[in-house]
Amino acid sequence: METDPSEATSAAPSPPRGVYFDGMSSKRRVVALTLSDTLQIIEDGEMLAGWAYADIRRADSPPGLLRLSCLTAPALARLEVRDPQLGSDIVARCGQLEENLPNRRGVAAIVGWSLAAAVSIVLVVLFGVPLAADRLTPLVPDSFERRLGDVADAQVKVIFNAKRCDDAAGQAAFEKLVGALRESAGLDNSVQSGVLATPIPNAFALPGGKVYLFDGLLAKAENPDEIAGVLAHELGHLRHRDSMRELIHNGGTSFLIGLLFGDITGSGALVFTSRTLVTSSYSRDAETNADTFAIETMHRLGRPAKPMGDLIFRVTGKEGGHGLSIVSSHPLTEDRLARMSKADGAITGAPLLSPAEWQALKGICGSGKI
Amino acid sequence: MSLAQALLPSFALGLIAVNEWWVSVGSPPPIPDGPQPPAVEKWWAPIDAPLESPTAPGLMFSGQRRDFLGLVARGAALELITVGFYRFWLATDIRRHLWTNTQVDGDAAEYTGRGKELLVGFLFALAIMVPIYVGYFLIGIEVERLKALASITLFVFFYVFGQFAIYRARRYRLTRTVWRGVRFWMDGSGWAYAARSSLWTVLTILTLGLTLPWRAAALERYKMRHCHYGELQGGFDGRGWEFFKRGWWLWLLVGCLLFGPPSFNDILRLADRPPLPKSVIDAIPFYYIVVSLAVPFIYAVFKSIEWRWWIAGLHFGQVRFTSTLQYGALAGLYWKVIGWLLLSGMMFAAYLFVGAWSIATIGKLSMASLVSGGLRGNVAMILVAATGYLMFILAMNVVLRIYLMRDLWARIAASTRIHNIAAADNVASRGDLASALGEGFADSLDVVGF
Repeated sequence: METDPSEATSAAPSPPRGVYFDGMSSKRRVVALTLSDTLQIIEDGEMLAGWAYADIRRADSPPGLLRLSCLTAPALARLEVRDPQLGSDIVARCGQLEENLPNRRGVAAIVGWSLAAAVSIVLVVLFGVPLAADRLTPLVPDSFERRLGDVADAQVKVIFNAKRCDDAAGQAAFEKLVGALRESAGLDNSVQSGVLATPIPNAFALPGGKVYLFDGLLAKAENPDEIAGVLAHELGHLRHRDSMRELIHNGGTSFLIGLLFGDITGSGALVFTSRTLVTSSYSRDAETNADTFAIETMHRLGRPAKPMGDLIFRVTGKEGGHGLSIVSSHPLTEDRLARMSKADGAITGAPLLSPAEWQALKGICGSGKI
Repeated sequence: MSLAQALLPSFALGLIAVNEWWVSVGSPPPIPDGPQPPAVEKWWAPIDAPLESPTAPGLMFSGQRRDFLGLVARGAALELITVGFYRFWLATDIRRHLWTNTQVDGDAAEYTGRGKELLVGFLFALAIMVPIYVGYFLIGIEVERLKALASITLFVFFYVFGQFAIYRARRYRLTRTVWRGVRFWMDGSGWAYAARSSLWTVLTILTLGLTLPWRAAALERYKMRHCHYGELQGGFDGRGWEFFKRGWWLWLLVGCLLFGPPSFNDILRLADRPPLPKSVIDAIPFYYIVVSLAVPFIYAVFKSIEWRWWIAGLHFGQVRFTSTLQYGALAGLYWKVIGWLLLSGMMFAAYLFVGAWSIATIGKLSMASLVSGGLRGNVAMILVAATGYLMFILAMNVVLRIYLMRDLWARIAASTRIHNIAAADNVASRGDLASALGEGFADSLDVVGF
């Protein structure tokens, strides 16, 4: 303390001192402090500033240092005090010293608001997004949906490395089957369909009115009603515009859940898991509706729906018994089969394909290829 | 999702905060080559202590490890409770700790940013990003119509945008950095930086990394000449060539280790010699396991070279810096992180096993059905696994922040010497605050850098 000769001569009982930065330049000033009605900052007998105690705020500082700012001074003006006695004298006079610094109450507020935000996001995901998907889907123009369909079409062909089968007799049988279903379902002739040469047993509908049947499913089918049911199910997706709805639903859900978890840095897997849980429950509803549509379409043709259930069961086997399958995108196969069996009445319609046509359809991708 | 992916953001976040060290470069002991700073009275010095200890480090990090551990552990818990929203305040608290405990020429720096600014920046960024994402989606459809899966190339746009975000985020942090009552600030254009950075990245990829030093030099030149401390302009005069001279052998080493043994066989074949025996070929996977042990060492040496080169190239006005960082100075930190990663990974695995076993016991499932995937889709198991995974990630975040933010920064600070600090004795303040929008972009794009 007694090291600066100029300071040593300034006052008889050396006043308490601090280091002052005026916020206008980086000049480091050793100053004397007087605690009168304001905190007076004095350098070489000249008063640099007088800070009202009510305006003084604490600024971040390392341990052992009291660093102060003042609301009425330049924003970056700082006064640093190291003497604990002087520090506590100043602290005792400043009523709102801690007001600008984050504190416990602030953390509680953050937690509270975060939970509120989380609850609101979850509610929007569970109720708002499905509603929005339902309301927005009819507003999407058909032309846009067809463009999406073209894109999906190209991607499917790349991903499955598949080409369309075009055996003439098979194609004729396939068109007859789809035509009958289409008429029964009340869809116009913009529906396009085809069989793809890939051993995966599946079928799906693309946005914009495309239905694809995989050869792998044909190979597992034992009669035309099985295939007809599956196609009717896919036509149901088209009719309900489920692809578009799912696109909006998935997009919205991903966005909101991503927002929720932000990054607990690396919570990507969690985002994925929770999104799967939400979207698959939504997708199960869509599948159930498509099944209903398929059952009605088949019954209108006087044909049974149960064969479709048989075919799916043949492909997946029994699915239950693994705990609750809430991550599954489809209802359990055995439940679907049971529902279709129960719905069926007497068979009143003629077979959809003749045995010859059925054989031609089975061979649409070239016999014995699978 | 791989563990590496899961950890990358936090890892990189660590690097950001630590790399912000330029805020806190401090004065070294009086050095022979610069004019001596005038003796400043340290009024709090004990009476009999020398005024200016000749051995006192100019740049000093005085933060307690314990305090930082408490800070990040509490922050991790709050992140969990607030489903991630606390990240803005945690990042702020971490910076406040690192900044205020860094003393430059005896005076501590200060971080004046606040979590709320980051939150607002994030929300604004989100509002801007949503139309961009929708536009990206629509353009993607048109591109896909031309050629399937061609829209993957659109990610280039997000890379460039990420570079822009990095520049703007740095600007935010810099304008919140205060030393001796004067703030740092930054001008220049984020897009100009993004263009430079992206073109250099293309060149670096084409040359298999050989032009990395020149990329770093060019980008640092741009960034640093737009950095200011008050009216002192920053600058960078490190040469890519110097960086290359110190690090070229690492590049060669990595190339040899990666491609050496497999291509040896090709060389033999080209030379019409008999190929390697099958036992040697079979050993190649083991070879790569051994090589992977060398990766942390190589990376640590590379980082130490880069830091030294970078620090020596910096200046603010006449204030210059040097670093005495040794090649091996950082390797220990990376190994500690790997050690903790393995330990927590094993604990996670054990926890999963115990969880599965308890669920099976309670649910009276046989061991055989357990092995054949009987718990797949089981809600209880999903919850158990998700909780465990979350704990694992949070624990790793704490580890990464301690070693790769705090400890790394402490080592860099201790190795840094400042020359001619007297040039910063009376610098007039200038420059305005920048918004946190850039940080928001960086957050929503998951990009990091400094």
